[in-house]
Amino acid sequence: MLETAVVIDVDGQVLHWHAPPGATATALPDARGLWEVLWIHRSRLGGVAHVHPGGAPVPSAVDLTTFAACEAGLGRRLVWWIATATDLVAFVHAGPGRLDYHPRPHVVKDVAAWLPELRDRSLRGG
Amino acid sequence: MNQRIDAGQARLNLTWNGQNGDLPDPVPYDASDAQLRAMALEALRNGDIPGIHIDRGARLDDFVVDRFGPTATMPWHRIFVRPKTPFGGAP
Repeated sequence: MLETAVVIDVDGQVLHWHAPPGATATALPDARGLWEVLWIHRSRLGGVAHVHPGGAPVPSAVDLTTFAACEAGLGRRLVWWIATATDLVAFVHAGPGRLDYHPRPHVVKDVAAWLPELRDRSLRGG
Repeated sequence: MNQRIDAGQARLNLTWNGQNGDLPDPVPYDASDAQLRAMALEALRNGDIPGIHIDRGARLDDFVVDRFGPTATMPWHRIFVRPKTPFGGAP
């Protein structure tokens, strides 16, 4: 199993699957290619989902600093989903601190069409 | 903008707050990542990057540096300061 990510647009459609070289079961490395995808699609971005294989749907310190850095670069807030085998939690910036991200209350459209494929890609190793 | 980029220098580009711009003056290509972030941050806080609004409270925590060599169409070194994108590790 590998950590895998997907970039989602404002309508819940997949923009980009992200399974870079160097991904492991617990980490996705920094990748300029992912930043380029976010930048190119910035006007239509909904957010980014990634998998915590075997872990809890809670952002790590690396996750939080990536959330904050990407939003600072884009100049806008996104939804950051974290998926496990059984859960999907959406995190959004709640403030006041730069790294204060809280779970967003469940919304119907968060029953995401892309979730089964995201989990499947994580199981298959990208 | 200083259009002349000598050997050993680079054009530095920053992305911030949905905007993107080049520092007007070239930077040393062999400056460290920390030094390059500091140059970009000073320029950003002073409003010295065309295309990016001044932001006196800006921080470039968790921004990384990409370096590219000369190409046929852009025969000079280029440096990009942009947000990092890793995920993972223990909560």
